[in-house]
Amino acid sequence: MRRRHLLALSAGALAAPALITQPARAAVETREHNGYRIRTYNVRPGSGSRDVACNADGTVWFCGQRDGTLNLLDPRDGGLKVVTLGQGAAPHGVVIGPDGAAWVTEGGQNSIARVDPKDHKVQLWKLNGGPSYANLNTLVFDNQGTLWFTGQGGVIGRFEPKAEKMQVWDAPRGNGPYGIALTPQGTVWYVSLAGNYLAEIDRTTGAPRIVEPPTPQQGARRVWSDSQGRLWISEWNSGNVSMHDPKDGSWKKWKLPGERPRCYSVYVDDRDAVWLTDFAANAIVRFDPKTETFLSFPSDKSGANVRQMAGRPGEAWAGESGTNRLVVIDKPQA
Amino acid sequence: MAAAFLAAVGSARAETCDRQVFEHCQACHALTKDAGQKPGPQLAGVIGRPVAGDPAFDYSPVLQEARAKGEVWTKDKLDLYLSDPQAVYAGTWMGSPPIRDAKQRADILCVLGGR
Repeated sequence: MRRRHLLALSAGALAAPALITQPARAAVETREHNGYRIRTYNVRPGSGSRDVACNADGTVWFCGQRDGTLNLLDPRDGGLKVVTLGQGAAPHGVVIGPDGAAWVTEGGQNSIARVDPKDHKVQLWKLNGGPSYANLNTLVFDNQGTLWFTGQGGVIGRFEPKAEKMQVWDAPRGNGPYGIALTPQGTVWYVSLAGNYLAEIDRTTGAPRIVEPPTPQQGARRVWSDSQGRLWISEWNSGNVSMHDPKDGSWKKWKLPGERPRCYSVYVDDRDAVWLTDFAANAIVRFDPKTETFLSFPSDKSGANVRQMAGRPGEAWAGESGTNRLVVIDKPQA
Repeated sequence: MAAAFLAAVGSARAETCDRQVFEHCQACHALTKDAGQKPGPQLAGVIGRPVAGDPAFDYSPVLQEARAKGEVWTKDKLDLYLSDPQAVYAGTWMGSPPIRDAKQRADILCVLGGR
């Protein structure tokens, strides 16, 4: 169903001043669990540290959804830079673009934001022509440099940075578009939490093709591709992690450990290990697809609420939105 | 008579909610008990209801603790919660960012109040 097709040439980048507050330092604590080293950075009280993105130089961006900031952590010394995104900002997702900048679904201002990697200047592109509040959620770049994004208020969209051209479409089944992912084959997929589906986006027309997961009302919240292009999905309602292989249309699913798991996020690392988060267990959970086994890393603080993970080779990063901390689990030293 | 008419108009206006803001809440919440499974609890009659009061939903530990203490969702408490959920119940699963605009919160509370 495509009730509305909104084409909007951006009114031009709305430049906001790069307000960088005084640099701070995040204290780090280190512990071991299941043979893995876990480092925890106390970033900023009240930030609501959630989605993260790793730069090639080792630094990590994270969204401060509670206080409207994008933050840059240098894990080597705990250095912290804080970029305010503007009045009413509430950033949700962040990725690193092909230009090296941080790109953000800035839900509070109903905008796509770009934060320059050098001077941290903030640019905003409003979803002009779209809904006044799309509840912008998650974003990903495709191989042509087009940014694709979701809005939980019931939209999907794309933004071409060079042309500053934005298009927004109504999503099937209304509310719900949440996680979005790019496969090695170059295809773009998203999931709908309230709509309970996985969909591939036609990158020419923007039209989604729904693929129904095997569990009804599963609450597909986030999606990530492995190295083969298989889609891994965290299911909030069912407590499952499921996997769809577009090559043959097959599905598999596994229930997370525990009586009533709540699987919030999924991230697949460079070795195709599947990192999940479970709110009921207050834990990050590593799933090995080869042995089909789970390894749990409970937080050492209650209410950690990791809503997204990302990483780089050997490092799985997470934002504990409930404790204002960033966590990294390092590859075991074999 | 004019005064009575104006009072009636005012009353009618007071009973009309701006539902636009609440539409965003509906990505996770229903207003009826029979809406089926949603990502969050149903909110039918939430004002005056015990915290963590949807028996079909498994709540975060912090909300379960609040319920065990006998806490109830009053209009004021909901207003405070919506203004910054994590500040009121640290560790709540609800991922909504703070709603700083008092008018928006009032609109949501209006809908939750059943008007």
